[in-house]
Amino acid sequence: MGQVGARVPLIDGMAKVTGQLRFADDGPTTVTAHAALLLSPKAHARVLSLDAEATRALPGVIGVWWHANTPQNGYNSAIWVAGQQLLADERMFPAILRHVGDRVAVVLAETAALARAAADMIVVSYEDLHATLTIDAALTNIGPATDADGQPTFLNPVETAELEHGDVLAAFGAAAHVSETCVSTPRSHHCAIETHVCRAWPKADGRIAILSPCQSVFAVQAVVAQAMGIEANCLHVIKAPIGGSFGGKAEPILEPICAFLAMETGRTVQLKLSRQETFEATRTRSATVGRMKIALAADGRMLGRDVDITVDIGAYCTGGNYLPGSMLQRLVRLYDIPAERYRGRAIYTNTVPSGAFRGYGSPQIHALGEISLDLAARDAGFDPVALRLRNIVSPEAIDPWQGLNLGNARGADCLRRGAEAFGWAKRRQSAPVGQRFRHGIGVAAATHINGCYPGEDEATTATMRLLPDGHIQLVCALHDLGCGSDTTVAQIAAEVLGLEASDIRISTADTDTCHYDIGTRASRMTYIVGEGVRKLAQALAEAITDVAELALNAVPGSVHLLSGQAVSSELSLTLADLAAWLVGCGASLPEATQTHRASANPGSYAAHFAEVEVDTLTGRVQVIDYLAVHDVGRAINPMLVEGQIHGGIQIGIGYALYEDVAIDPCTGQVHGNSFSRYTIVNAPEMPRIEVLLVEESEPTGPFGAKALGEIATIPVAPAVVNAVNHALGTRLTELPLSPDRITRALIRR
Amino acid sequence: MRGKLLVLWVNGRKESVVANPLDRLSHILRNELGLTGLKEGCCEGECGACTVLLDDRPVPSCLILGFQVEGATISTIEGMATAGTLSGLQTAFLTHGAVQCGYCTPGMVMAAEGLLRANPAPDRAAIRHGLAGNICRCTGFDLIVTAVESEASRRRIERRAVDAARESQRAPE
Repeated sequence: MGQVGARVPLIDGMAKVTGQLRFADDGPTTVTAHAALLLSPKAHARVLSLDAEATRALPGVIGVWWHANTPQNGYNSAIWVAGQQLLADERMFPAILRHVGDRVAVVLAETAALARAAADMIVVSYEDLHATLTIDAALTNIGPATDADGQPTFLNPVETAELEHGDVLAAFGAAAHVSETCVSTPRSHHCAIETHVCRAWPKADGRIAILSPCQSVFAVQAVVAQAMGIEANCLHVIKAPIGGSFGGKAEPILEPICAFLAMETGRTVQLKLSRQETFEATRTRSATVGRMKIALAADGRMLGRDVDITVDIGAYCTGGNYLPGSMLQRLVRLYDIPAERYRGRAIYTNTVPSGAFRGYGSPQIHALGEISLDLAARDAGFDPVALRLRNIVSPEAIDPWQGLNLGNARGADCLRRGAEAFGWAKRRQSAPVGQRFRHGIGVAAATHINGCYPGEDEATTATMRLLPDGHIQLVCALHDLGCGSDTTVAQIAAEVLGLEASDIRISTADTDTCHYDIGTRASRMTYIVGEGVRKLAQALAEAITDVAELALNAVPGSVHLLSGQAVSSELSLTLADLAAWLVGCGASLPEATQTHRASANPGSYAAHFAEVEVDTLTGRVQVIDYLAVHDVGRAINPMLVEGQIHGGIQIGIGYALYEDVAIDPCTGQVHGNSFSRYTIVNAPEMPRIEVLLVEESEPTGPFGAKALGEIATIPVAPAVVNAVNHALGTRLTELPLSPDRITRALIRR
Repeated sequence: MRGKLLVLWVNGRKESVVANPLDRLSHILRNELGLTGLKEGCCEGECGACTVLLDDRPVPSCLILGFQVEGATISTIEGMATAGTLSGLQTAFLTHGAVQCGYCTPGMVMAAEGLLRANPAPDRAAIRHGLAGNICRCTGFDLIVTAVESEASRRRIERRAVDAARESQRAPE
């Protein structure tokens, strides 16, 4: 009770602030072999031969593996269930390397330092192949579907998604204003402070155990099984605490290699990437180039849009084929537009593969939409907030693509309340215009999804039981990525059961003990899993009160759960005493198992407001004031909600201004491959932040709650870019707005 | 490389380890002494997850060789909580929501501790500046700054109370 809406500290926070939480690299199992990768220096090349004689001869080196002595099963690291059909173009160690950072070989040695040094001694001869490094080059790349070795090859586009609804031609014919904008977004990196790491060891029962900081133990099991060509039930996957993911650890990258080496050598193997390897050999947010044409009526109504976006998914398919469709899904849930044409294409290049990253396509597509809309507003003389308010979807709107009801969509409230709290109108008019330093005010709106419905079987199954000591155990494959989802779910359960969040014991996600769950993705934790746990807790509460009535000799229906006790009109009993009584009676303890299946996918909405100061001499931008307004339905834990929003703003400002993995268009080398060359927002660059929550309750969410984690970062980059363009009168649309791009734009004017 | 005996003072205790001349302090603390609270997030002094206090100064332990600090006083996150009770700074991090995934937290707490020892009354800008060498990718720093600010005020109040108590003892009856 009193749990929902409370600023409850993380239930695993004590272990975190004392440094006692054991991440995968921290033990307690003893590693007996360390692996180190040899990564490709080439953007596209065939491995002709590999000489590892000197390496193998080193004392302490256990072995060297490459494509000639490892399984060559094609796999796709984005599958989440065994047998799932996705383009399986990845190999543990491919014979043809597809990007700088692709995996050539692995060395296993007794220490990590030795493995690393030994890997550098391997001599490889390569045959260079033609590399496709830019979107423009890729679009001319129409080749055979398989190469000479029968491996799937680059056939562009990998996937397209298209929509045409309403009469687009007529909409543009009737428009009072037509505006067209091109926006490009960079490849950006998750930069979780924990680099990718995995442990694997053989178990006494003949299976391989895998300890992985992952977003779904079942996805790890499925991918490793596919890569090794074995049954999924030969693998036992256990989730380790995760030192940040943001989608970067959604796809198993090291797990197939680690499990294979454990099986081959019988050792406890650890593979931990260096910071540079994490930049070059894991995943990034896909780079995009988009074009948007907007038809506006004289009164500001959006009559039509024509959208084209090309998504660079890098060298392997992974889940990149989903991106054009995902972007379309999110794009059409923001504004109510009678006619729209959309074409999205995913294309391969010889660059580091893209993967999931907070927002999964939304930051890219909303950057295109919101920067284009702002420039359209400027061209036609509309106020950016008023123009958005004129067109934003209303509650219960139906989206034109999937035909889904958007639920209690409160985007308009976010804009209205935000504009007032930020002093939009006044600031916009009186932004200081100095000689050198200029201020600008920007806004952007955004929407994001709540779970996978209707795309997958969007469901979660969990078990909850009363433990003999009176605590409650929750068995569900939960993967808290650091966002506090364990705490949020525990608060929901505790609210129903009359307990405190810390009374809920959450079992570690484990393929041996948990029900199947697709894991932490698609903003589904609070909305889907939270609602499943709320309903399950209700079932358990009924089971507990049923036996408590017997224990208390109470009238049926008279017992309720309050402050850790079962309370009737006269008597009360702690849950610990109730459990002890049941154990003494030889009775089983109350337990419930349920599956919650989603039947809706409402939209979460946000409006962000930014004030920036631009130094016109150096091109440096400082975000000085920031307001984030979020339609969250209901904040289960306002402190965690604020933390998510602040973190989203940090990543979003980086996306707008600094972050770029920057792959050389001529050589394919990765320029932004360390924290000194890939600039992120540190404490001094963060602005003052205000957060406003719109809590109008979503009927299908737990206690009215909706998703927040991903949307927090989505409107940030367009809000900042729009503010810079307001400050300078520019049309900067190539992200990030680095100082050289800004100064070049100013010189051109 | 042959190992040599190295004596370090860590969290108030004398520790003897056999280390190689080129072993980083972070490696020795984690692998030889089992102090895995500090993390190696980049091994190039950029992320700050391996921050420890050298005497009272926060340093990235990945850029220091063990033998460079022989005899110096080293404090790690494991030395912050005493007898199971969190330090004020740790409590502030927890209650203000300054922790998310927790990977940067041990280094961040040590950097903040070093900051407060050098500057007992920092404003928010000084706190941001003091934490500039530590990357947190989850929190956006704001709640970390709030936690440090709150702990600074708590310490000031505590110090005033101690000073007042001393003053009253000294005062004639």
